[in-house]
Amino acid sequence: MKLTFTYLKKYRVAAIAALVMMLIELAVELSQPLLISKIIDDGIRQQDTAVVWLWGGVLVGSAAVAFLAGILSSFFASHTSQGFAFDLRDKLYEKVQSFTYDVFSRFPTSSLITRLTGDVSQLQDTIFMGLRFMTRIPLVVIGSVVMALVVHVKLGLLLTVTLPFLVIFMIWLMRRASELFRNVQNRLDGVNGVIQENLTGIRLIRVFVRMGHEIGRFAAFSGELMRSTVAALRLTETSTPFIMIIVNAGILAVLWFGRIEISTGDATLGQTVAVINYSLRTMGALSALSWIMVSFSRARASSVRIAEVMSASEGPGELGMTTGNGATPVQAGLSSQHGQSQSVFHKGSDHQAPAVQGKVEFQQVSFSYPGSDIKVLEDISFTVQPGERVAIMGATGSGKSSLVTLIPRLYECGSGMIRVDGKNHTEMDIQALRRSIGYVPQEVLLFTGSIRENIAWGNDQASQADIEQAAAAAQIHETVAALLQGYDTQLGQRGVNLSGGQKQRLTIARALVRRPAILILDDSTSALDAVTEGLLLAELKKMSCTTFLITQKISSTASADLILLLDEGRLIAQGTHAELMEESALYRKIYQSQTGEAQHVQSTH
Amino acid sequence: MFKALIEPFRYPKLEVGHGEAKVFGAMGSRKPKAKAKNWSGTLGRIWHYLAERRAKLVLVLFMVLLSSGLSLLGPYLISRAVDDYLGGAGGRTWGIFLLILALVYLLNSLVSWLQNVWMIEVAQETVYRMRTELFAHLHRLPISFFNRRQQGEIMSRLTNDIENISSTLNSSAIQIFSSILTLVGTVGVMLWLSPLLTLLTFIVVPLMMLGMRWITRRTGPLFKERQRNMGELNGFIEETLSGQRIIKAFSQEERVITGFRERNTRIMLSGYWAQAISGFIPKLMNGLNNLSFAIVAGVGGLLAIRGLVTVGIIIAFAEYARQFTRPLNDLANQWNTLLSAIAGAERVFEVLDEETEARDEGAAVKLQHVEGAVKFSGVSFSYEGGADTLQDISFEAKPGEMIALVGPTGAGKTTLIGLLSRFYDPSRGSITLDGRELSTITRESLRSQMAFVLQDSFLFKGTIRDNIRYGRLDATDEEVEEAAKLANAHAFIMRLQDGYDRMLSVDGSGISQGQKQLLAIARAILANPSMLVLDEATSSIDTVTEIKIQEGLQALMRGRTSFVIAHRLGTIRAADRILVLEGGRLLQQGSHEELLQQGGLYSELVRGSKEAAEA
Repeated sequence: MKLTFTYLKKYRVAAIAALVMMLIELAVELSQPLLISKIIDDGIRQQDTAVVWLWGGVLVGSAAVAFLAGILSSFFASHTSQGFAFDLRDKLYEKVQSFTYDVFSRFPTSSLITRLTGDVSQLQDTIFMGLRFMTRIPLVVIGSVVMALVVHVKLGLLLTVTLPFLVIFMIWLMRRASELFRNVQNRLDGVNGVIQENLTGIRLIRVFVRMGHEIGRFAAFSGELMRSTVAALRLTETSTPFIMIIVNAGILAVLWFGRIEISTGDATLGQTVAVINYSLRTMGALSALSWIMVSFSRARASSVRIAEVMSASEGPGELGMTTGNGATPVQAGLSSQHGQSQSVFHKGSDHQAPAVQGKVEFQQVSFSYPGSDIKVLEDISFTVQPGERVAIMGATGSGKSSLVTLIPRLYECGSGMIRVDGKNHTEMDIQALRRSIGYVPQEVLLFTGSIRENIAWGNDQASQADIEQAAAAAQIHETVAALLQGYDTQLGQRGVNLSGGQKQRLTIARALVRRPAILILDDSTSALDAVTEGLLLAELKKMSCTTFLITQKISSTASADLILLLDEGRLIAQGTHAELMEESALYRKIYQSQTGEAQHVQSTH
Repeated sequence: MFKALIEPFRYPKLEVGHGEAKVFGAMGSRKPKAKAKNWSGTLGRIWHYLAERRAKLVLVLFMVLLSSGLSLLGPYLISRAVDDYLGGAGGRTWGIFLLILALVYLLNSLVSWLQNVWMIEVAQETVYRMRTELFAHLHRLPISFFNRRQQGEIMSRLTNDIENISSTLNSSAIQIFSSILTLVGTVGVMLWLSPLLTLLTFIVVPLMMLGMRWITRRTGPLFKERQRNMGELNGFIEETLSGQRIIKAFSQEERVITGFRERNTRIMLSGYWAQAISGFIPKLMNGLNNLSFAIVAGVGGLLAIRGLVTVGIIIAFAEYARQFTRPLNDLANQWNTLLSAIAGAERVFEVLDEETEARDEGAAVKLQHVEGAVKFSGVSFSYEGGADTLQDISFEAKPGEMIALVGPTGAGKTTLIGLLSRFYDPSRGSITLDGRELSTITRESLRSQMAFVLQDSFLFKGTIRDNIRYGRLDATDEEVEEAAKLANAHAFIMRLQDGYDRMLSVDGSGISQGQKQLLAIARAILANPSMLVLDEATSSIDTVTEIKIQEGLQALMRGRTSFVIAHRLGTIRAADRILVLEGGRLLQQGSHEELLQQGGLYSELVRGSKEAAEA
């Protein structure tokens, strides 16, 4: 909840204005029973028409004032809650983007998504309602009780004694309900998790004919969600009937004692009626309570979940976060008094260090994934000169991918040091470092948008010529050009309308358009046939960037300047093709397994 | 201070949906007919779901009827108390009177509790059914549906939209009904007590109609717009968070943050107007409430002086006038949720209306046992009216044969496999399995005769054991491990923390791509199919591992018709028949030796890989 107030601060003026508007409305409503008691006692009972006209006129006038205040409050409250949600969503997303990859992967993606969408909306709705209705409830209750006491102390006290019961009951209910709603939220996460998994794995599910199984699994999850929702709501629904019983008991008491007081002349009919009216208003206000509690406890749960993300440390060495002011809703031209927001990320390009040359050294580097004690890499040392090509080979799980993810610092190495151009790379500006690296991961990840946008994603300054050049080097230009809409062809999520190999080459083009000093190809040529791959490698040679190439194919290692042979996290051999043919038995075996076939082909020819 | 005060009024005006009016029910008369049909159609469909719990619903309705009556009785009894006992002379029956009042109050509490609890049960069961039905429907939609849409957008329909419907059904549905009842009841009682005062109170009704129409004409499209923006933002979030690794490595955080901010601003704008304007509704109601209170008190007072009404009647009217607008107030309070719920429901039904994967033809048969003789004759295929992806393909695979598909990327190999498994059906030509037309075989039974190792090996959240068992759900632990051994995955699994019980996340982090594929192979082995499809399955498995797994694969392929998309010469050579594809055409087919003798593309490809090796 503290978090909520931090973000509300910026909109305090509008929020307070909304509350003031609400107070005006409230004052008008609370004066009504008092005025009606005046009409009864001084007007009707005294047969005085002027008094009735006067107070009737006041009632009409105040109704108009209250209406105006209500309309204004709608704008203030909407501005506050929408601005709040904008800021919170914006900051939250920025925060998520500022996580190191390692911190990021600690949160399940589906859960981060709900936090960014559902939870923020929940808080926003609660704030909107809070500014207009929720805060009004306690005020109506307190105001009614005070006014009842003002009208007639003894009768008012009868309404007052019901309050402690209501308060204690409410507090108990509040606690219990928030627990139950937390449960509901967790179940909802579970359901959403299954949905996401199913959407991602839809093809696999189809081919294994596991639709029934998945539907059954989903039904089990949503069944649990249903049961926990019913349990939570059943509890909150007891509140209104309970309040009704307590307050109605109060009304009965007022009637009983009111009759006695009137007969002794200690109270007037108008006063008794006014107290009853205040009691009815208290009840009316309180009956909205169960609904408010639902939103409130949900809001609290949401706030906790958002705070969890907000308070997670971004991880060491990552992009410097500036705290404080949220970003401004720029397009709306609002919040001018708070000044322009600062970008979270250093704009490093202006004071950029000299361009990276591409020399990479590993010195006794060891690495394990966070939260695991298995050493994925152990004591790795090698040196690559600028422009050289390094081929990395090794069995599945030998640590090849881990090794290359250390270079752009997606993960930090445990011990040892990585130097780029002779500098310890943890001391370099991470933005500048990553700007000089082109990375093509194993899995093909493309974004929604056109082919052009996807390639230019690597470098937003790229011209059409740059894009085509990169595409040509990645051996995809001809394919793209042959498409009906060429570079404007839209790609669906994960680029489903192209084949695996084509998508892979787009991701390569995306890396090449950066003109990187260091290029990392994490087994990214696997879906390419030998001819295409050969052409690609020839192009890369021309680009003279230091290239790390994870590969299984002797055809691509043979021309490398350095080959690293990994086995279970250790570097068991390094050198050129010729050297390894001499030194490494494993390398020779791999060579034979691949080229042996080719020679065999040759001989039958 | 002043600036901050006027800020809320400086939002740019939002143009939505070409200013189309969308009005609910009878409140607007100028609305285009088609739109209203849409709304009532959506409501009708929601009703259709609710109706399945008819018995309970009738019970709920009865309770609502009862509680509405009881809440009408309360103010009337109070007015009698004021006139007869407090202001008047009667006193004998005072005790009994209070007892009756107490009973009315108690019963009212009980009945309203029951009505709400039962309604929640009905609502949640309904939502549960909608949710599972929608989910099941997704699994019947053709794959092309998923190609066309953002995952986040589908996601939002299954989550946000359904949640909206859920919260609306929980409370709004019942409130609407009880509001209408209370409204009718109140008007009746008021007329009975004092027709004159009633007519005067009704002055507010036309004002309310006008106000409501003005508001709802604006909010409908605004809510739809906001919902659309929300879906878009969700899609963006989904995509950028799934692609986080790339964003990091390319240090494109700033760009996605900017993209996010744009979408976020759009949501804020449409949300601002939707919320501000729909927020008028309760205020309008409140204002009219106060106005009618003033009329009752003022005019009632004047009438009372002339002896036309009693004080008790004024008291009752003050309460009834509130009860008369309260139902509308409640309706108004639920308006926000109702609007977005109907918009959400519309979007849910949109998915439910999507055409499912063409039904298996009536005469389609379930396959029992399959020999595995596959024949393509003159098969062509194009995706949704595009250029032909495959053209005039004819070949034959005898039972147990291994068919290798060879060709440059984009040649149509994956599409050919898609046709074989009936993800798509050919535009022309025919495919037969064991001499039976493929389109006469149910998709399910066809696919359960095949095992797939796909390009993107997908793993579920769960243990390694569960992931392998996905191939055959009733497999024992021993069988799972046996399959893993055959696929050569056993050794690496045992090296992992927790072994077979190691939890995997959806993105399979913690194990490599090659390991993922080994698991996918183990899964296929466990499925024990009659036909096998390997789509570049071995590509990211290293040579050393591949040598080992080849044995497993060979064992798996023996006696099964296998289709393999692979670039490795070793795999290709072992094939009984090689299909050489380029640009969607079948250029050559035959055994390795035959094709080499023919020359052409195949020998070029072979030479290419050899030259590359020696370069």
